[in-house]
Order: sequence, then structure tokens, then C-alpha cells
Amino acid sequence: MQSVVVLFVMSLIVFSMINLVGDPVDMLVNPESLPDEIERVRRDFGLDQPVYIQYWKFLTGALSGDLGNSFVFGRPALTLMAERFPATLELAVSALIIAVMIGLPLGVYAGLRPDGLGARFIMGLSVLGISIPTFWLGLMMIILFSVILGWLPVSGRGETAVFLGIESSMFTLDGLKHLAMPATNLALFKIAMVMRLARAGTTEVMAQDFIRFARAKGLSSRRIVRAHLMPNILIPIVTVLGIEFGTLIAFATVTESIFAWPGLGKLVIDAIVNLDRPIVVAYLLFVVALFLVLNLVVDIIYAVLDPRVRLQGDEG
Amino acid sequence: MTGNKILSIQGLRTEFPTPHGPIVAVNGVDLEVARGEVLGIVGESGSGKTVLGLSAMGLIDLPGKVTAGRILFGGQDLTRHTEAQWQAIRGKRMAMVFQDPTTSLNPVQRIGAQMIEALQAHRDISKDAAKRIVLEAMVRVGINSPEERLLSYPHQFSGGMRQRVVIATALLNEPDLIIADEPTTALDVTVQAQILRDVRRLCQDAGTALIWVSHDLGVVAQIAHRVAVMYAGRIVEQGITNRLLKTPSHPYTAGLIASMPTNAKRGERLRSIPGGLPQLSNLPVGCAFAPRCAQASAACDVLPELVSTSAEHAVRCVSPLNEAA
Repeated sequence: MQSVVVLFVMSLIVFSMINLVGDPVDMLVNPESLPDEIERVRRDFGLDQPVYIQYWKFLTGALSGDLGNSFVFGRPALTLMAERFPATLELAVSALIIAVMIGLPLGVYAGLRPDGLGARFIMGLSVLGISIPTFWLGLMMIILFSVILGWLPVSGRGETAVFLGIESSMFTLDGLKHLAMPATNLALFKIAMVMRLARAGTTEVMAQDFIRFARAKGLSSRRIVRAHLMPNILIPIVTVLGIEFGTLIAFATVTESIFAWPGLGKLVIDAIVNLDRPIVVAYLLFVVALFLVLNLVVDIIYAVLDPRVRLQGDEG
Repeated sequence: MTGNKILSIQGLRTEFPTPHGPIVAVNGVDLEVARGEVLGIVGESGSGKTVLGLSAMGLIDLPGKVTAGRILFGGQDLTRHTEAQWQAIRGKRMAMVFQDPTTSLNPVQRIGAQMIEALQAHRDISKDAAKRIVLEAMVRVGINSPEERLLSYPHQFSGGMRQRVVIATALLNEPDLIIADEPTTALDVTVQAQILRDVRRLCQDAGTALIWVSHDLGVVAQIAHRVAVMYAGRIVEQGITNRLLKTPSHPYTAGLIASMPTNAKRGERLRSIPGGLPQLSNLPVGCAFAPRCAQASAACDVLPELVSTSAEHAVRCVSPLNEAA
């Protein structure tokens, strides 16, 4: 119920804001068109009507699953987004995997030996990872790996293949090559974040009595890390990553623009430039819905990972 | 020493470096525990009794370190052990029970798994076989419907139940020695009494030696054959429990006994020892208790040795009480 209210309020805000930005008709017609032609276009898109009528039309359409047609492409906004979504999802998932695979072990290592040289080096890297602007690093990566070394393609999405019913460029070598740079670029901030979370969690959990008791049982360090440390630090990490996954999808715009990745971010940036209102509105509503769903998913995963938040049927 | 000593600690010193100089938490402690014996270690918070227990288990966290002395356990000097050698002993031949049962168990792992892993760490044993042993151990410490309880998580247990789980876990591998660090302090008085009785019985049955660390002389009196009193990292007196309680030689021991609520008359104010523990990083040169001691004299400026007054009793004081006894 709350979610519906959030979506409704969001649509209201988005719709009124975007009407302030500028007149899309100026972008759509040839500047040399005759006034009556401009009027015709305006009428065709329903832009001659008062804002509240436009909003009412949009709202009734939205309730029946129609978020309007793109002014530029003349096709439904939802269809356009659905076409682009797999590319963005693939980029976000890859970035998330990279972030966990690199960030988690480094963070745990730094947390286990907080005063060691390695730990200090790792934490220094994480500060860099958080502070370096994504777009700058993306450009530097292109210069290094594509222009100078010539190892990786500059832009675009590579060949795709279908595996287990999913079409993705993760399953071809060419696709992976195309994916490597944008995914790493997008992951960079998250690597640093996972690293810091993992380190903080590790130092906190390792100081707990149950770790000491586990050592008193004669368990090996490896067993302690695997069975006692990991499950405990994963709880906060998964919570944060769940929400961060939303930001990966929603705000991959910068990375997608730099690497010309044909995803949602690219679509919406172009739509903003062209004042293609239906796309912008649909995209923003999609992002809101995405966060709502992710919050729910995180709550569910949380209950799976932490027995203390599960619904209690049995007595204490 | 003879073969019936399971643990013999000699001149043990454990230090924690700080920017203001090292804190010597355990300062030259000599201690012996015979097979099947129950030794109580008494002292107030900060006296070094917990650190002593952890040192004996090799569980001192860096930067803390055992800097001198020997820990002879079953004839081996543990201070020379590598981490791998320690792991083979911990939980198998020497086990530990901690003070707070609410934090001793991993909150996100089932009770059964936490107990089974203690067995599997030391024996090549199938999960089913381990489970059978665990179930028996749970019954022995008085946990009802253990089959069900195996699948529970720690938060579904009361504090007393959790401590029973911890104790059962410590007993799983039939160790020669259990070090219990204030295991009943965090529990209700009634639960405390039950657990005290159960632990004493279990150790007796299995012939396990027990070191019971506590600040509560009353609890120690109920369980220990012998008592060692610690003050500022040193043992100031040790002896047979009954005799030590009746005729203490060290003024500090006498003060502790006088402070026990059970020794106060109805309506009387509870007694206490004036002053507080000295800074461990800045100990007085002589007797550390002298500043709080009514009997203190100029002679106390030199650190007294721990002197044996009889085969079973020793005291570290220049003018011990009850000398006639």
C-alpha cells in the first residue's frame, strides 16, 4: 500500500518538474516549420492541453500499463526500456560480482590483520576507489587498455549468446571483452565500499566472544573465518549491496555514456537531452519501483541470513 | 613435580604493551592443578585472573603476549607451541567456558552445528556419530528434548541454557582440564546454583580438573578444593579452601572474606576494602596491596615472596595474619 502511494507521489513530482524544463515541441520539429505545423505536432502529442489534463491522461494510461509513446521513437516507452534493460542488468550484475569477488576477500584480509602493511595498503586503495571520479577513471581506462595497449574494445556491447534461456554478452569472449571495462569501471566504487564494510565487520566480529570460544574449541583459523566470521559479516553487506544494486542499475548512466553501452542509462540520457518526456517519466517511475522491489528482496534475504529476524513460531 | 599434576604454571608473565609502557596483567604467577582437582582463582576485576586463564589457553590477543614463564601441561611446555600445536590441544585436552553465555555462541549458526564442529575439529568422525555424542552431552547437562534443540539458534535459549550448551561443548572431547572464567556471574542466582552443582558433578564423573575463576569468594567456596587469591597480577595467597576461608593469612584475603554479604549481620552495612586496584602499568615497588592495607608498615616497601607456610598453603605478606594457625 505504501509502495503505491510512493509511486503515485513520485509520478506527480516527476510530471510537474518535467513540465518546467522546456518545450519538447521545439526539439521535435524542424526550426523552420510553419506555425500551424508546430501547432499540429503540439496537438498530436496532447501538449496543447492544460498540465492537469495531461497528467490525468498519463495516470489513467499508467494504470492500464501504458506509460505513453516516446516522442522521438514513436514507440511505447515501456517497450523501449524493456529492450535496453538486459544490457544494463548484465552490466550491473557483472559489476556486483566484481565488487564482491574483489572487495570481500581484501576487506576480510584487512580486518584480520588491521595493523599490517597489507591492510593499510588495502585501505588506502579503498579511499582512492571512493574518491576517484568514475567518468575520469573510465576515460583513463579507455586510454590505457584500448588506445595504448589495444587489449579491449573502446565501446559498445559485444556479441551475445543464449545460455539457460538468458541472452547475454557474458557468454561470449567478445562480449566479455566489451563488458570488462564498463563493468570494472562501474564496480570500482562498490569494490571500495564492500572492502570497507567487510573490514569493519571483520574487526567487529573477530572481537566477539563467540570467536574466542570458537578458538577455544580448537578450530582452525580457516574454519573460524568460514563458519563464524563470514555468515556474520555478510548480513550487513548483503543489506547494503541489495540497495546498492538498485543504484548500479539506476545510475549506470555515466558509465554507459562513456562506454556507449546500449543500456537504460544511455536511453534516459538521450531522452533528457531530447526532452522525450514519456521516456524520462517512465524511467524514473521504473527506478522508484525497482528500489521498492529491492527493499522487499533485501528484507527477505535478511531473514534467510539472520535467524534472529525470522518470524518466531517457537518460544525462546 | 609428580605425574598427577595436569597443569603447572611457573613464573608466568603476560604483558600488554601500551604507549605509556607495558601493562603487566599477569606478573610471575606459579600455579599447579592436580588431575581431577578443582582450583578456584579469586580476585576483583582487573586482578589478572581472566588474563591468566586466557594465557593458559594460548588465547591472548596481540599485541598482548606471554613474555616469561612456562605452562607445563601434560609434560609439555605450551609456551613453545606453534599455533597448530595449540589448536590440537585447545578444545581437546583443555577447554574453556566464558563469562557471558549470551555472547559465547555464534548467533547465526545452529546450536547443533556449533557443538558438532568442536568434535570434528579433533576427531575424524562422521556427522551422525558426532550428533549422537552431542545429544548425550546435552542430556548430561540437563537440556530437555535435545533433538529439537540441536536445530535451535542461540537466541531461542535462555542465558542459563546457553551456558549449559557452552559447558556441554567444553566437555565434548573429555578434556583433562576446563578453565571456567566466571561462568555463572551473568546468570540468575538459582540458575547459578544449579550450574555450579552440575559442573562439579560432571567434572567429578569424568575426572576432569577444573579452574574456576571468579570474583565471588562465596561461589568458589562451594566448588573449589583449593583457592588462589590474585591481586594486581600476582597470587597473594593460596591454600585449601576451608582453611583459607576460616583463617586467612593475607590481609587482602581477610578483607575479601569480610566483604562477603553472607558474613554481614542483618541491618549492618556491607563491608568493603577501602581504595581500589593500583594501576597495572604503574605498580608500587613493594607489596601492591600496601596502600589499602591496615597492617602496612615500612617493611611492605619491599615486594614479599610467596612463602609456603605449610605443604598446602602459601602467602605473600611480610606480616601475615593468623600465624598461629
